[in-house]
Parts: sequence; C-alpha cells; structure tokens
Amino acid sequence: MSLVIDTVTKQYGRFAALAGASLTAPQGAFVALLGPSGSGKTTLLRILGGLEMPDSGTVRFADLNWLDMPSRDRKAGFVFQHYALFKHMSVAKNIAFGLEVRPREERPAKADIKRRVEELLELVQLQDLGSRYPSQLSGGQRQRVALARALAIEPRMLLLDEPFGALDAKVRKELREWLRHIHDKAGVTSVFVTHDQEEAFAMADLVAVMNKGRIEQVGTPDVVRRDPGTAFVSDFLGN
Amino acid sequence: MPRKFQNPTEDSLTLKLTLGSIAIAFVGLFLVLPLIVVFHEAFKGGLAHAWTTITDPDTLAAIKLSLIAAVIAVPLNTVFGVAAAWCIAKFDFWGKTFLVTLIDLPFSVSPVVVGLVYVLVFGMQGWLGLTLAGYDIQILFALPGIVLATIFVTFPFVARELIPLMVDQGRDEEEAAVSLGASGFQTFLRVTLPNIKWGLLYGILLCNARALGEFGAVSVLSGHIRGETNTMPLHVQLLYDNYDYTGAFVVAAILTLLGLLTLAIKSFLEWRYADELAASHRH
Amino acid sequence: MSAPGISLAAGRARSVLPGFRLSLGFTLVYLASLVLIPLVALLLRPFELPLPELWDAITAPRVLSALRLSFGMALAAALIDAVFGLIIAWVLVRYRFPGKALLDAVIDLPFALPTAVAGIALSTLYAPNGWLGSALMEYGIRVAYTPWGVLVAMVFIALPFTVRTIQPVLAELGRDSEEAAATLGATRLQIIGRVVLPALLPAILTGVALAFARAAGEYGSIIFIAGNLPNISEIAPLLIVINLEQYDYAGAAAVGVVMLGASFIMLLALNALQSWAAKRR
Repeated sequence: MSLVIDTVTKQYGRFAALAGASLTAPQGAFVALLGPSGSGKTTLLRILGGLEMPDSGTVRFADLNWLDMPSRDRKAGFVFQHYALFKHMSVAKNIAFGLEVRPREERPAKADIKRRVEELLELVQLQDLGSRYPSQLSGGQRQRVALARALAIEPRMLLLDEPFGALDAKVRKELREWLRHIHDKAGVTSVFVTHDQEEAFAMADLVAVMNKGRIEQVGTPDVVRRDPGTAFVSDFLGN
Repeated sequence: MPRKFQNPTEDSLTLKLTLGSIAIAFVGLFLVLPLIVVFHEAFKGGLAHAWTTITDPDTLAAIKLSLIAAVIAVPLNTVFGVAAAWCIAKFDFWGKTFLVTLIDLPFSVSPVVVGLVYVLVFGMQGWLGLTLAGYDIQILFALPGIVLATIFVTFPFVARELIPLMVDQGRDEEEAAVSLGASGFQTFLRVTLPNIKWGLLYGILLCNARALGEFGAVSVLSGHIRGETNTMPLHVQLLYDNYDYTGAFVVAAILTLLGLLTLAIKSFLEWRYADELAASHRH
Repeated sequence: MSAPGISLAAGRARSVLPGFRLSLGFTLVYLASLVLIPLVALLLRPFELPLPELWDAITAPRVLSALRLSFGMALAAALIDAVFGLIIAWVLVRYRFPGKALLDAVIDLPFALPTAVAGIALSTLYAPNGWLGSALMEYGIRVAYTPWGVLVAMVFIALPFTVRTIQPVLAELGRDSEEAAATLGATRLQIIGRVVLPALLPAILTGVALAFARAAGEYGSIIFIAGNLPNISEIAPLLIVINLEQYDYAGAAAVGVVMLGASFIMLLALNALQSWAAKRR
C-alpha cells in the first residue's frame, strides 16, 4: 500500500524536466518534494495528479498501476499553487463539485452532499462563508477552500503545489500545523512541493531533495539534515 | 512505452479536427467568399472597364468627398478621444462611469437613426432648419450633413481604444513629470503621448476605416446627388441600382482594398505592439 | 473602472495633473452637441403627434412587421454568431495550426468592409444565379430577396462582436480550473459544461448583446439582399428612410424612437453585464 515512483522521465523539447526520478514512500506518509525552481518537483506532482504523462518510468500506488488511470479516476486531491477555485461558484459549490460530478450511481444524495460540505467547512474553519464567492475571500481563506474541495472527494492521495507560496509569513506558519493536523486526520498519503527547506523539515515525514530532474536524497528530516547524501544536498541546505 | 494518455485539458484529435473544420468552414463561407466575389465581379469586365469606372468624374468626385469627410471627422474625433481619455483616466469625478457609457452610445444606435436625428434637427421642419436657411447655410444634402453623420458614427473609436489603455497606465508617470517641473503640455507630449502612440494609431485606423465606409447615416443625409454629394459607398449603391454591376464592384473593390489594408496594419500593430495596446487586443 | 463618489472639486484637489477642466469641458461639449442634443430631438419629436396618432404610427401593420423582422432576425443572428463565435474563439485560443494568424485577422473583415460592399457581395453570392444561391436553389432554398437574406447579412456583420468578446476572456481563463475539475473527477464534458461555459457566460452574453444591437440597426448590407418587400422582408431602418423620403417626419421619428429605445435597453443590459462580470473576477 505504498507509493513507488520508479525512474520517471519527462522531456519538454530539449529540456529534461525529469531525468529518472525514483522515490518510495509508505502509505500515510507526508512527503515534501524540496528543491530549487526547475528541479522538476512540480512536474512530478502533476504526473502524480494525472495532469502530465511521463515519457518513461512507472508509478504504483496502493497496488494500482497509477499511470494507467486517467486523472478523474485517481481520486488524487490536488491543491493548486494559485488555488484554481471556480470563480463563478460559491464556496459551498466549489467544495461540492467533486461529489456532484460523480456518475449518478455513485453520487451521494443532495442532503448528504450538503452535510459533507458543512463538515468540511467546519474542518477548514469557514463555517459561515459557504455562500461567499472566491473573490470575496482572503488568500488564506481561499487556500483553505481549495483544501476542503480536494478533501471532499475522500482522496487516496493529497497533492499540494507550493501550498503556502502565495501567503504571507504569519498566515503560513499558522496553516502549517493545521495542514499537518488535517493530513493526520484524513489518513491519506500526501505529497507537497516546496522550495522552502524550513517548511519541508517542519512538516514532512519524508523529505525528497530534488535537483535537475532527479531525486538526490530521500529521508526523514533528521537524517537528511544530519547526513546530506550528496554535495548538492549539502550545498542546498546551506551546510 | 506507448500509452494512451488523454491530457484532461486537451481536446481529442477528432474534436480538434471537427471544431477546426467548423470554424474554418463558417469563416470561409460567411466572410471570405463575399470578399472573393467582390474582386471576381470587379474584374469581370476586364481591367479597361475597371479603369474607365475609376476615372469616371463621378467616381473621382465620390472618392474626393469620402476623403474630405474622413479628413474632417477623424482628426476631430481623435482630439475628442484624447481629451475624453485624459479626463477619465487621470482624474476621479462623479458620474465617470456614466460618461463612459455615453461615449459608447453611438455604437449601439442604428446608422439610419443617426441620419434621422440630424434631419430632425437641421431639416426644414426641424429645430434649426429654418434659422439656418435664413443665413443661407445648408446642412442636409450637402457636405456638412455628411461630415456630421460621419463624426457621429465614428465618435467612440479613438476614445474607446485610449480609455482602457490610459486607465491601465495610471497617472504615476505624469505626476512624476509634473513634480520635475514639466508643464502640462510638455507632460502630455513627452510622457503620455509616447505611451499611447500605438493605441492612438490603432483607434485612428479603425475610426478612419469606418469613416470611409459609412453608408446608412450618410445615405439619409446626402441627398444622393451624383458627382456632388455621393460618397464612395453611396456611389456603389448608385451604380448597382443602375444595373452597372461591374462598375459597382470596381468601386467596392477599392473600398475593400482599403479595408484589407486597414486589417493588415491592425494585425501588425496587434502583433508588434501588443503590450502598448489596450488589454482586450492582447491575444 | 469604478467611479468613486467624490465630488468634482475633491477629485481636482487630489490630482496635481493639469488639464482636467479643459479636457472634461471639451468632452462634455463635444458629446452634448454632436450626440446628446440631436438624440433628444428624436426623443421629443414623436410627441408632437397626439398620443393616439403616435400609437397608430408605431402599431401600423407595416411598421410592426418591419420591427419584428429587424429584432427577430437580429436575435437569431446573434444566437447563431454566439454558437459559431464560441467555436471560432475556442479554435483560435486553444489550438495551434498553420494559418491561425490569418484566420484571426479575417474575423475582423466585417469591421473593415463597408456595409454597402458587403451588401452587394452577399446579394450577388446568394442571388438565384450566384455561386451559393444557385446551389441552394437546387434544394429549393431561396435566400436572396427573402427574410433569410436579412439573416445572412446580419450573421455576416455581427460575427466579430461575439468572437472578439469571447476570445480574450477565454485566453485569460487559463487551464488551472479545468485541471482542478479533472482531478476532482469531472469528465471532459462536465468540465466544459460546469467550469468553462459558466466562466465564459458573461462574455458570451455581452457578445450576443453587442451582436444583437448591431444587427438590429443594420441597414447598408441588408437592403441589397433583402428584396425589401413591405410586410415580408422590409427592415425597420429602411422604413425610416422611406418615411423620410415621403417627408413623413413624424412617422420616421416614431420608428426611430422605438429603435433608439431598444438601443438604450441594450446599453443598460451591457452595463449590467459588465458589473456582473467584474464581480466574479
């Protein structure tokens, strides 16, 4: 029941975004993809979400051949860097979207959807804002709506692209602990992309340091910090 | 390893081909085919006939009249457009949104209604008709009427291009210039104008195209006196109604060439100076 | 653009830039003398008639049928252009193919081509012996000199309005929200129907309103192809021209006022649409 990424490559024209990235993480882990911009971390995340297809390599998750499944069947809740909320829908409608687009036989009853949305609003502490529109929310609130929307589909995997990138430092720190708490509560495997090592070390079970389309080192925060595996990791962490 | 992967935001090839064909077929049928007809019909009678039509004194008079109307209307509307954009973009005042709406008004009024409106004001039964006749001033069925109609229908073009552009640019640069001691006129000439010159040209271009091509409003006000108050589009109608189809298409072809030239310059401006045009053209 | 509720004097005091009085003054005088006062003349003129007579002038069968033709066909043309305009905008924004720049430029032909030129070209094309007209005749369809001719001309002149309002909004939409919908389990059809089209709706409606306003008032391109049979293919603007030629100023003004009223309504609708769209940004 683990996530196994095996020598995944992805080429954009002459630029190798991924040059054989491999990573194994146990079920329920909170994995940080850490690296400078252009190191391939977002590309890897998008491959996990089914938004890109690698040129070669395999991804297995929970004994499923992950790459053979289209994005919509993966149940991989994706939180976009700029949230990608549906601007013409209220907050509640945004959260309910993933449930409402299910085929009729799998779709929960209207009342159940409504209840689920209310639970999620409570979870992300936006109880009274269900009828607001995204344009009426602050950055931090939008972030939480995006997370609630991703959680609504009861995801197998949670994918977060620079989840705090667009927020100011104070809100960022508050949301960190809270996100970790939500991850533990939902019991999903989460992968998040960041270029901020402090953030990665503070939140993740496993930190994967990426460089030039490869994963240089994977390990617990302690191990990676104490014992950088390569010159690049050592350099990037500023030792 | 070949896998069938459908990018979730990418249309399938079948859909691409279908929609692409529909778009091209529709544009070809409705827009391009009429264009081809114009040139096909114009050259039906041979180059010699085309030349006779063009050098006919009535055709030359029509060309001259169209140019005169445009030469008067376009600069006036350009000055108006710059003035309107200046006060709307650089200052805050009550009723600004309403003013912008009013400037757009001529776009939604039928050209024939424009003609009608001026007949009601300047006609013999109109508000000013008898007064002006007393001074021997003729507006209707003469050059002033044609110019008025042209001004009305081309009224918003420059303003509408400049307003969003100048609002976008804000007033920082002008304020900096004034704080450095520039006079109002210097500020406009050295700071504002360089920033808006391509947008201004774009607006003038569209204004000019419409001025040369206006038919409905001018038709009501001109009186259709051959060789005197016929503009080029009216001359097209006159020739067509007199069963000189080839002649009509020869004059139409001249207008079409002007239109195509306008389109070419417009596309060039959009491509080359995209950043310096209003946001709606940056695609 | 918002108009903060500050007085003229306050706005003046806040800005160090010169030329406010001059530019606003010129704008207002120019606008008023060339556009507003003449329009007011039209609004007042019909009321020189006694009201019953005015009502009779507007409800005369020939007038009603002309108004119905102009507005009905304009609505049909605007809707046709909305559908095809959406497809064309989609193709132009989302696909890459050779000749795309040319297709993009050609869309503006109706803006650049004088309406009289379009009129004689369409008329020749759809005449019973024309390229398209003769082909259609084999199926028993007559376009030129029938109400369908009116529709064809309106579809021609109004197409750029829908394409050019939808295109920039679609380009700005980006693919983020579509990707989000896909990861949430939506099918491609659901993405289009629930995410893309609703996001484009204000632009589509704006395009339809602009196309409708333009088509309803169109004169030049239609009179050549319509045949202009009273009660059948005679459009309202032509009726104004005919009334004027017969020196029936009040009759012309009556039709004109109805058309101007429609213009105002469209303008208000467009403004409402704009503030609605701005709210959702």
